[in-house]
Amino acid sequence: MSGYDIHRGENPRIIFFFWIVMAATATLVLGLGWRQLIAAHKYEEIEKRQTERRVLKPGARGDIYDRKGNLLVGNRAHYSAVVYLDDLRREFREEYSKIIRAERAALKETYQLTPLKEREDSQLTPDYNELQWVARQNVIQRYIDQINLITGRDDAVSTRTIIRHFNEQLLLPLPLVSDLKPDEYARLIEQVPVQSPIQIHTDTARYYPYGVAAAHTLGYVQKVNPDPDTIPNDGIKTYTFKSKIGKTGLERSFDELLSGEIGAEIWRVDPLGFQDSLLDGKTPRQGEDLITSIDIDLQMAAETALGERTGAAVALDVRTGEVLAIASHPSYDLNDLSPFIPRKTFGEINERGAWLNRTLQLSYPPGSTFKLLTSIAGMRHGTLTLQTEHDCQGVFRLGNRIFHCHARYGHGVVDEAAAIEGSCNIFYYAEGLRMGIDVLSAEAKRFGLAERTGIEVPYETKRLVVPTKDWKRERVGSGWVPGDTVNTAIGQGFLLVTPLQMATFIASIARDETRTQPTLRALSYVEAQQVNHGGEPVGLTRNQRAELWEGMERVVGDGGTGRLVQIDGLRIAGKTGTADFRAHGKEVNLAWFVGFAPVENPQIAIAVMVEGTSSLDSYHGGSTAGPVAKDIFLEFIEHYPERAGFQVAR
Amino acid sequence: MAKLRLDRIKPLVALCAFLLAWWIIPTTVKSFLKASFSEFQAPAWVATSYLDDLENFWARRSHSKVELIEAGREVARAKSLYQFNSQRKETLENEIQRLEAILNLPSRREFRYEVARVVRRDLNAWWQQIVIRKGKDFDIPVGAAVVFSGGVVGRVVEVGAFTSRVELVTSPNFRMAANFEGDKRPVVYQGLPQSGFGDPLGAVHDAPQDVLASTQRPLKLLSTRLGGTFPPGLMIGRVSWLEPGNTGIFQAGEVELDDRLLSLHEVAVLIPLYPIDLQDDVP
Repeated sequence: MSGYDIHRGENPRIIFFFWIVMAATATLVLGLGWRQLIAAHKYEEIEKRQTERRVLKPGARGDIYDRKGNLLVGNRAHYSAVVYLDDLRREFREEYSKIIRAERAALKETYQLTPLKEREDSQLTPDYNELQWVARQNVIQRYIDQINLITGRDDAVSTRTIIRHFNEQLLLPLPLVSDLKPDEYARLIEQVPVQSPIQIHTDTARYYPYGVAAAHTLGYVQKVNPDPDTIPNDGIKTYTFKSKIGKTGLERSFDELLSGEIGAEIWRVDPLGFQDSLLDGKTPRQGEDLITSIDIDLQMAAETALGERTGAAVALDVRTGEVLAIASHPSYDLNDLSPFIPRKTFGEINERGAWLNRTLQLSYPPGSTFKLLTSIAGMRHGTLTLQTEHDCQGVFRLGNRIFHCHARYGHGVVDEAAAIEGSCNIFYYAEGLRMGIDVLSAEAKRFGLAERTGIEVPYETKRLVVPTKDWKRERVGSGWVPGDTVNTAIGQGFLLVTPLQMATFIASIARDETRTQPTLRALSYVEAQQVNHGGEPVGLTRNQRAELWEGMERVVGDGGTGRLVQIDGLRIAGKTGTADFRAHGKEVNLAWFVGFAPVENPQIAIAVMVEGTSSLDSYHGGSTAGPVAKDIFLEFIEHYPERAGFQVAR
Repeated sequence: MAKLRLDRIKPLVALCAFLLAWWIIPTTVKSFLKASFSEFQAPAWVATSYLDDLENFWARRSHSKVELIEAGREVARAKSLYQFNSQRKETLENEIQRLEAILNLPSRREFRYEVARVVRRDLNAWWQQIVIRKGKDFDIPVGAAVVFSGGVVGRVVEVGAFTSRVELVTSPNFRMAANFEGDKRPVVYQGLPQSGFGDPLGAVHDAPQDVLASTQRPLKLLSTRLGGTFPPGLMIGRVSWLEPGNTGIFQAGEVELDDRLLSLHEVAVLIPLYPIDLQDDVP
């Protein structure tokens, strides 16, 4: 029996310590139980945050097609050579050791060569942190040199890039060389050994098979970091590849539809943050496709016809308002903006003024094409009748001002149809004055010329002017004078519209309604039947309409201003216009043509505007804009002969 | 007793010493030793190969006269066909050169070829590498393309004095740029680990999404000149199906390779006539 046993149960000090030990043990057991059973979830969360990393990969964007299924915007492969830094850790260490040895030897030599008096100040310890980055840069640069040797490039990596990648994107591959051309990609595939840490990373870049066609309308994309709201907020550190968002055009308007679904990978990482094993993965998915109303054949015809000139052309389906072609020049090859916009390209496009979408971002005086609206306003108001005639002697005197007709010696006595055919200014000066600006403005507004069309392309201009007396007082600061009315009646003065608006205007006339809602989405058969443009009937009697249309048809006749638009077998109704316009600090010409065909059953409406860029340019609606419209009409006949009223052999 | 125990572990000690020495000696020495060993073995392989040829020759000598005459006719027919094709090729080459001169185009890469017998194929690396009977003695360079009548065989990875080692198209370590017939966009071909001696397979990836392949209409996977190693248009294999790859952007699929790769006897090494010019060569 030991001494302890003798005093057990009697010695109060032992009992006291016994209970202390018991209490401590119970505390430990309870603490352990608490942590293991109750607070386990919390620790799991912490462990997860510390050891797991998420990598988000955006899906490819959807394709954009024309109404016949031709690819307008797709994705092409975008190759880059990358390296995962995790694969280079051994090399980093070896290079670091080598550099350290060399550095120490160099410092030692320097120290020994330093006179004894100065030795205290000389440094014997190298900057280890800096040498670590140097070692990393050396290793990475060696791989880049290998790529340079194969591809003939001259790329390099900076320490700054490496430091940023280490700190911000360690789990993502470090791009060594980006935007490889197909032959460079192929050479690397063949000549870089499979076991090399260099990997060929394949991403997508936007690809535009038709280059400049509808460039402003289709738009381009920009690489951005994904929206932080799309990143799960669960505490796991997330690395993201850049995704693409639409910056302009349809790419922007339909960004949500076109954007792909983001894929994700969950990685377990080691204490240094390098990837250890893949825990979970979800493949990214491509976005939805968009089918547009554009017909690439008509689009190419419009692009080719505009050529090197500055201007815009819009072709609409009269019934549905679907945009068949929409071209703005000068333009740019969208492929030059993919995968990114080089600074030089940006500057070059900027210098040419090609960023502007002239179909809807700039507004112009409509010139004589507006006379159609003056006619409609006059007929509806009752000041212009089928019997109305004016004697055009080439000049029109208003107070002490003289207004000219473009026909120097006048058109003689003209009725409405003849005035439209010959685009007689004198006739419309007189009619404008008779009806007054209030009637004219109200009619223009009724046709929606003071409002944006609401097409699905962003940045449609707000600078649309249908002048009224109040407008002039407010904006110009002076009262309305009769001279303003006669100018407005012929589409000059303060009036400003876009080519797209003029296309909707002429389509509305063709359908005998006041509004046309343009759309770039291809409508299904059912949707096409249910289109509601939101307007009302123009309100002309049958005879009034016939008179108007006869004048328009005569425009494209042998004696009309738009005779160059004539096409055998196709009845076209149109109106030319030539306006004076001040742009870039100089007076330039604007040439307009608006028209629709076939007259007996209108299917296509076209508006063309060609803008002079120098005072020397002598542009006229009939001879400059007309032929552009003719080329589009011809293409329409070729591809839609039945709709154009031509017999098709079956 | 203690002495006996020491005797027993002597081989183990020797093995450990060897492994330690092998571990310690620099990589360059190891490479040198490996190459020397290979060069030492090569004459034996070449001699064996020549003996095989001699054996075949004598086996053919034992054929009857009638059989030999018939074989001779076959050879004559084949020869005349090849001569015709050769003349046609020459005419076409002249035409190409004329057009290149007119259009001021740079010339394509040209190759000379060296036909070489296969002298060795290890059973444990059947689908990875072969050894051919020509080396530095015929100016075979590392990286040269190796082909046969069925298309691509592989690429030279090691050149000895009289032999060369070829990485086969079936090896997982073999990768090349390719394109589908009628489509210029480059895709990646890579060998796969093969199972036994069945039909050889490879993998294709980075195929664009609009490329469609089916068992009814398999696509031909051809070599492309973009990579700089192979001339264009050489058959790699056929692709019967493609499915979206793990990136969600491109497609990947299996390539059915020529089953004659199982028993190669003779191949041709394509040697570039002049070094690649990265700036001026037609990709």
